[in-house]
Order: sequence, then structure tokens, then C-alpha cells
Amino acid sequence: MATSQTPMEDAIRQKVTQAFAPASLEIFNDSHLHSHHKAMAGSTSQETHFRVYVTSDTFEGKRQPARHREVYSLLKDEMAAEGGIHALQLRTKTPQEAAATTEAK
Amino acid sequence: MNSSAPLSANTPGPAAQSSTPSTSATTCTVQQIASEEEFDQQITALPSSCLSVIYFHAPWAEPCKQMSTILSTLASTYQPGNPQRIAFFGLDAEEVSDISERYDVSQVPLMVLQKDGQVVDSITGTDASKVRNAVEKHAGASKSGDAGKAGLPPAQKVTKPAPSQSLDDGKASMNGNSSLSKYAPNSSDPATAPQFSSGEINGATQEASQEELNARLSELVKAAPVMLFMKGTPSAPQCGFSRQCVSILREKGVRYGFFNILADDEVRQGLKEFSEWPTFPQVYVDGELIGGLDILKEEFENDTEFLKDYSVSAQGKTGGPAAPAKQAVAA
Repeated sequence: MATSQTPMEDAIRQKVTQAFAPASLEIFNDSHLHSHHKAMAGSTSQETHFRVYVTSDTFEGKRQPARHREVYSLLKDEMAAEGGIHALQLRTKTPQEAAATTEAK
Repeated sequence: MNSSAPLSANTPGPAAQSSTPSTSATTCTVQQIASEEEFDQQITALPSSCLSVIYFHAPWAEPCKQMSTILSTLASTYQPGNPQRIAFFGLDAEEVSDISERYDVSQVPLMVLQKDGQVVDSITGTDASKVRNAVEKHAGASKSGDAGKAGLPPAQKVTKPAPSQSLDDGKASMNGNSSLSKYAPNSSDPATAPQFSSGEINGATQEASQEELNARLSELVKAAPVMLFMKGTPSAPQCGFSRQCVSILREKGVRYGFFNILADDEVRQGLKEFSEWPTFPQVYVDGELIGGLDILKEEFENDTEFLKDYSVSAQGKTGGPAAPAKQAVAA
């Protein structure tokens, strides 16, 4: 069996799906946009910066910082690992909020 | 990210630096040592009560560049004294390999503190506050630290970033503009809102315990009604997300205090645990964590009045330090 080329992304997908049973989950790898930055000098990883959009009703009743914290703690190991996830941009919405945003646009 | 690099015995070292004779100027400098003889000569010339701060570095190791700046800055806050009570030496670990062997140097940067021929402390890595605390422990606080200043300053340092080169509106991609990748802090750049940097908060000679750190952090997040913990400074952000935060806050005319977490590793790591938030930038309002860039953007999208109370106009002032024409007055 071939090993995955995207271990970080796989981990994100698997963990978030399991924890939040999301109605929708989008993962964008933005690492290439940051690879020339000083902070990334010497890094060989191509999975350092991600944008993750999660829609789940488990977010209901929770404020944004709390929702983000849940995702961060889920991916604690990946973020702490040497050469692991360096930055994680999050959008955490409930299905109602997501619908409202789409309507407003 | 590595904070220290293992020494490779096979890497050729650069040409030895010529040593600078220690000046009789009022503040210390880091004297570069080029040979074993010179090292022994310098060390034996010192009085037994004098603390030697011996810094092993290698020019090819990235973290050493940072530590070199940190050490020469720290050195400049000390006076050698008469009889000499403190001396700073720099050694290219591969050039002066006999000395490296003597001290069993396997990683750089390495700081060895020695008194009267005995090693009293040694620190690896680039933690500025660890080095400073160790030096203060063994040599006393530097003269520049105000012993009387407890906690944080009463007046906040609010910095309105000067209108600099055109910045993204935040809608654009996360591409850093070229100035970001070329930026390298030099010693004249403000490390952080000066009152907040740990070197000036009471000349404590003890290492901050966890409690003290937490107490310090809980004060720090309240230092201004709106606090931005960022990488770099508003006039020279070191990260695209920090830069966007600065841009948004400025656009909305928000008055805020900032802290450069790249200049203080203790705060950088401590705040992550304190707030259970692993990334920077972090925005606090009245001591409470709002979140990072994404949440900040979203708050403004959802509520055009967000942070209106903290804007320049709301405080009845006639405009901040930046060009008033650039400030967006909240509708």
C-alpha cells in the first residue's frame, strides 16, 4: 500500500470528521504561499499552512474562540510536531450560520 | 523548529575572526576569541569573582545569528566594573575546537557561565530570557534594569503604526510581499513595546516561576484595552497574518497596544499555554482572548460596530500619531 503524500491533511480530515461529524469540511493547503518566508527557511515540509472550513452543529451555542480551541486541541500533536502544522486558519460555523452567510452573499 | 543545531565535525569553519581587545568603554561587548591561548590568557586575567559568559557559536547555524544579537544587546546593558565583575566572550566553536572539546560542546548556540574556573551554568538554544536570567542570577541585575519598577507600567504604550508600504486588505491571498521575506530585525528595531519587555520589569534575579509567569501574562493581556500579540512590530510585521491584523486594526482606527512575541520566547510559549491557543497573532480585548486573524475579520464582518469603543474617535482624541487622513472613522 502506498504511503500518503499528505499525512497532515489526512490527519486533519480524519480527526475533524470523527470529532465533529461535519456537514461540510474543506481543507486547503496554503503552504506554497508561505514557503519563501524567513520563518519557513530550512523547512522541507509541504504541509505547513492550512485553511480549514468546518460546518457542524456541534458548534451550536459556542463562541468562536471556543470552537477554534476545540479544533486546535484536536490537532495539538500535529501542531507541536517538528516540521508539523505551522499555521491553521479556521472557519467554524453551524449549518444555520453557513446558510446565512451564503444567503447574504 | 530547532532552537539549536548539532555540531558537525566535518564542516569546514570560516576564517577566524580577529579578536577585538576589550574596550575600556563603559559597557560590555562580546569579545571574540580566536585561539586557545587567547582564551586562557583572557580567562586567567580576570578576578575570581568575575562571571565569564562564554558563547559558543557557528556561523552556519541560523539560531546563532539570533543569539549573537541577543547576547551583544545583553552585554551592552552591563558595565565591566572595577574590579571586573563580568566579561562576555564569543567563540566560533569549530575554529577554537580545543576549547569546544574542553567544554564538551555538542550543540550551538551554547552559553557557558563560569566563575573562578568553575562552570556554574550552561544554556543551549535561543531563549533570551533564560540567558538573561542566568546571567542576572550569577552577576546580579544589569544597571539599566530599574529595580523599583514592579509589574507593568501604568500608562499603556499605544502605537499607531505609521502608514507604511501598501498592505493587503486582508481579502488578498496570504502572499507575503517581498519586503517580508527580506526583513531581518536589527538591534535598532524596537523589540517590543519597551515597558513590557521582561528585562525592564523589576531587577529580579530569580527565574520566573510558573506562577510569576502566569501573573505577568495576565497583566500583560490587560496592558491595553485592546492588545495585539504579534510576530514583529506594527511597522515591521514578521508574518502575513500579523500584518493583516495590524492592517485591519488600523483601518478601523482602533487604538491598541502591541507585543512582539518574537522578542520574548517566555511570553511566546507561556501565552500559548496560558490561553490554550497555539498560534499568533492573538487579539485580546479587556484581557479576554478574542482569537486570531480569522475571528477578528469575522467579528468585523458580522458587526460593523465591533471595537468601536476602542477607536481613536471614541476616545475623544483628535487623531492618533499616524496621518489622520488614513484613519477610517467608524461609521
